[in-house]
Amino acid sequence: MDAGDISWWSVLIAVIGGAIRVSTPYLFVSLGETLTEKSGRVNLGLEGVLVVGAMSGYATAVLTGEPWLGVLVAGLAGAALSLVHALVCSLPRVNDIAVGISLFIFGTGLAFFLGKPFINPSAPRLPDIDFAWWSSSPQVQSALKINILFIAGFILALFMAWALKTTRWGLMLRTVGDSEEAAKALGYNILRVRMLGTVAGGFLAGVGGSYLSLYFPGTWNEGLSSGQGLMAVALVIFARWDPVRCFYASLLFGGATALGPALQTVGITTNYYLYGAAPYFLTLAVLIYSSSPQKALEGAPGEVSINR
Amino acid sequence: MTDLPNLDFPPPPEVEIWKLTKHFGAFTALDDVSFKIDPGSFHALLGENGAGKSTLVKCLMGSYRADGGSILIDGKETVITSPRQAQQQGLGMVYQHFTLIPSMTVAENLILGEPDLPQVMNWAKARASLTAFMAKMPFKLDLDRLVSSLSAGEKQKLEILKQLRLGSRFLILDEPTSVLTPDEADQILGLMRRLTDEKRISVVLISHKLREVESYADEVTVLRQGKHAGQGRVAELNRSDMVRMMVGDEPSTTSSTRDTAGNGAVVLALQGLGVENDKGLPAVRSLDLAVRSGEIVGIAGISGNGQTELVEVLAGQRALLAGALEVSGKPYYRTRSEMRTHRVKLLPEAPLQNACVRGMSVAENLSLRLYDEPPMSLAGFWLNRAAMRDRASKLIGQFRIKTQGPDAPIETLSGGNVQRTVLARELADGAALLIVQNPCFGLDLKAVAEIRQRILDTRNAGGAVLLLSEDLDEIMELSDRILVMSEGQIVYETTRAAAKVQDIGHHMAKRDI
Amino acid sequence: MNSSGLLSSAEAVTINVAAFAFTMAIFGVYVAALGHNPVDVYYVLYLGSFARQISIESTLTNAAPLMLTALCTAIPARAGLLVIGGEGALVVGGVATVLAGVALGDAPFLPGVAMMCLAGALAGGTWIGLVGALRQYRGVNETISSLLLNYIAIALMYHLITGPIRDWERVLKTSSWSIPESLRVGEMEFIGVHWGLAAGVSVCLILYVIMRRTTFGFGVDILGGNPRAAQMAGLPINRMVILCCFIGGAMAGIGGAFEVMAVHGFASESLAVGFGYAGILVAFLSRQNPAAIIVLAILLGGITASGGLLQRRFDLPDATTQVLQGLLFMVVLASNAAYGRLSVFQPASWRTA
Repeated sequence: MDAGDISWWSVLIAVIGGAIRVSTPYLFVSLGETLTEKSGRVNLGLEGVLVVGAMSGYATAVLTGEPWLGVLVAGLAGAALSLVHALVCSLPRVNDIAVGISLFIFGTGLAFFLGKPFINPSAPRLPDIDFAWWSSSPQVQSALKINILFIAGFILALFMAWALKTTRWGLMLRTVGDSEEAAKALGYNILRVRMLGTVAGGFLAGVGGSYLSLYFPGTWNEGLSSGQGLMAVALVIFARWDPVRCFYASLLFGGATALGPALQTVGITTNYYLYGAAPYFLTLAVLIYSSSPQKALEGAPGEVSINR
Repeated sequence: MTDLPNLDFPPPPEVEIWKLTKHFGAFTALDDVSFKIDPGSFHALLGENGAGKSTLVKCLMGSYRADGGSILIDGKETVITSPRQAQQQGLGMVYQHFTLIPSMTVAENLILGEPDLPQVMNWAKARASLTAFMAKMPFKLDLDRLVSSLSAGEKQKLEILKQLRLGSRFLILDEPTSVLTPDEADQILGLMRRLTDEKRISVVLISHKLREVESYADEVTVLRQGKHAGQGRVAELNRSDMVRMMVGDEPSTTSSTRDTAGNGAVVLALQGLGVENDKGLPAVRSLDLAVRSGEIVGIAGISGNGQTELVEVLAGQRALLAGALEVSGKPYYRTRSEMRTHRVKLLPEAPLQNACVRGMSVAENLSLRLYDEPPMSLAGFWLNRAAMRDRASKLIGQFRIKTQGPDAPIETLSGGNVQRTVLARELADGAALLIVQNPCFGLDLKAVAEIRQRILDTRNAGGAVLLLSEDLDEIMELSDRILVMSEGQIVYETTRAAAKVQDIGHHMAKRDI
Repeated sequence: MNSSGLLSSAEAVTINVAAFAFTMAIFGVYVAALGHNPVDVYYVLYLGSFARQISIESTLTNAAPLMLTALCTAIPARAGLLVIGGEGALVVGGVATVLAGVALGDAPFLPGVAMMCLAGALAGGTWIGLVGALRQYRGVNETISSLLLNYIAIALMYHLITGPIRDWERVLKTSSWSIPESLRVGEMEFIGVHWGLAAGVSVCLILYVIMRRTTFGFGVDILGGNPRAAQMAGLPINRMVILCCFIGGAMAGIGGAFEVMAVHGFASESLAVGFGYAGILVAFLSRQNPAAIIVLAILLGGITASGGLLQRRFDLPDATTQVLQGLLFMVVLASNAAYGRLSVFQPASWRTA
């Protein structure tokens, strides 16, 4: 075994560790988007929601010293912003995708505006759990420091999969997203269900944002998010609107995002920006692969407009 | 048939509708209508499209609020404000458009309608109860199948099962058989009939099919233009009485001087045509077809057997997966220049959705075929909107399109006038090949007669006409040759002279054999 | 234009003006909540955008790329696609312009500039044309793919300007090689705004005429209004969609070309400053009408231009204008619900037909 093998081995560990570290925002935003799309709407504005979540969570943690309170505030801020999306989309003849774009612009603007004073102060980080007591390798140790939000996201994915099948709320949500006609016949309040789906989705995306600012990378600045909120929309298509598959897809996307930095750790710095674009290429490839000009996307809720 | 289930319901309610009135703006959809449905009766509600049948049952089900009159249930005046409330009164409706959720299983769909759905389902218990329920039902469905994989007949059964599961004792069936084969229709209506005979439920059947009314209903109420136009016991009425109530004293005009047809050159030739539907399932399968100039070939069939997909392929709205498509002996790729050279014209169903641009004016819609030709454009490039409007004004007069003018948006026209607009556009300069699907759906009798006459005129002028219709009478009236389409294939062919309704009906129903 | 066209234009103007006023009211409440006097803020917005020669020039300089990126959304939108890739198309257009400019070396001014515009247009057009092709041949949702291509374009630019085409002599800013001084485009004679504005206004007017008065524009309107009707009329839909995407992308690419030729002289992160996203807003405000884009791009350019003054006078962050833009976008979208509701604009007689 020569030195080259060892460095590739450490790249792999770094990618796996990075996947776990980076995937959490993808996971929360994609679970949020799944909720929203299951109700029949697309919220492209989750990118804005994510950034607002990151900013408000960070600001709260700075001001109170309580990172978990920051997570909660981030979720609430995300919910509030998504409520705007839900309300505007409830008006007739309003295109939900366009509203998402406006929310994206508005949300990031708002976050940069209100977050300006918080760029310098540092906030307490969210704690993590060390799963690498068995290993002496520093790389493995850093890869297996796992944040509680990651575990919470995993449990949440399982819970959502269960809830969508088994709870009254889940059935109602799926009905509204799949067939307005059927939902009307059942006497469901379509607008209210969609509102709740969108707001709950926004809460999750906000929490995902707080992970960015409070754990990894763990600072607040204007370049914090690199489109995770937007990619989550494609990720949901990839996961075919299934929460558990969202978890796997998030890990995959997290791994792709971690590729550039992982290569950098072993001294490969050329093409850094190209590796950095890996998640976008991956998303595009996934879309090209999973779309079809003739058929609707498999598993898509019937009322979702992304499905044409 | 299997044993009837033991439905442990209380007896069905007596429902009386009294002087019910409903306006939509200036339009009166329902005008002072009264009648009564006895417990356990099978009551038909008959009328043409737009006669007010749907409005009436929507008032009954609480989807609409009536502007006047009242509904009495078991003699008590009852205000019904929502379908849910109607449900509590034991009223249930099986909609014409299915209200099932395609991505859910049969079990989930059955459970969903239950009024006291718990916050967290106990699926083990629910399944046990559903299995027990299913065992008592005369028709069975696999609880785990996805609704999207059910056939139309199975979906209809599921809709009815859903209502019975909810304990509805007063079932409104809104044209339940329009998507079914005659066999499926007989099976379902037969079951409903037996349930009413045993006074377990009352049934209101909305239909415009006289055969069904005659075979299954006890009583019939006829609506015409929102008014009560007659009623009686079916046993005491004959067919012409009912027709007169439905359409008034106006005779249903059948025109047509038939030229002898069938020896012209082949205009449309399809060989081994294969097409998929939106879900990627085969919709048209190795279909062969030839239409000659100077003949009308009618294709009969239950809707959903590939007719729409066939028309879409011919219109260029759907990809051709297999087979050859030729027009006038040449391969046909459905391009604009071919359409123009071969004078291929189309009158698809739902013309506003399939053949018009909603946001555009009548004049613009009338120009869709020829806007890039002189005089409406210079050198195929520069538009001449004045010429567009002039030509439109002429066509509006010629085809008697009722509109405020060529600049009125097409959406402001009534359905019949949209149909006329498309007809005018497609037939203004004649057609060598005309493809028509359900051209008279939902139109009043005068418009029907006129449109049918124009189709005949096209044939008489030497055009080849392919007519697809769910209305067997229309096929019988117009066609020179009659084909039956089932499961994406032509399963039967006959000439007009030799055609028998029974034979055609039998072949339409063939799919389960 | 016929009477119904006039009426619907009047309707659009009225609703947009109301939406703008409403947005300003909300924005006023927002700045008031932050402890500023809204009237002062409005006044500074006006000062920074339209009050003086210098602010007007700054407004128009911002408006030029906005017109071009707005077309990147507006033209495909007429064919029924929601493309939001203006940012990426502007960036690739800018990078292609740099490459062309460096390759051209000491070419004469006019042909050189024409070639650089062409390079920008081809790059941007191909970029968005790809979006249209993916949509038509693979069914890939164009909104998402164009958005991803924005990120990919920016990553590609960073890749190039940090390595292959980096100007290592410029230390303070990471940037690409510069185009030759002789190929730099200057300001117009009569006003201190570069020629990109003239280019933007001209292409908007040309595209307005094409979309409104030619058979191509009519065909695109059929397609955008109802693809099924377009199929039935036998129109070459794939070609039309890809062409519309190409045109849109090419316009944003020209926007990038002028940013390089007239403003920066090289490619750097300053190309990706959000003109593409603001362009989406301009396209929606103008209801995809190229002529209206001119006016609304100037309005939006004014908002952007006043950002600096807002920062200096009230210490408001530079994201203020983005908040205002997002707000305006949302209100305008919400105002779509008002169309057809104002009885003044509804010839009542039509409805009874």
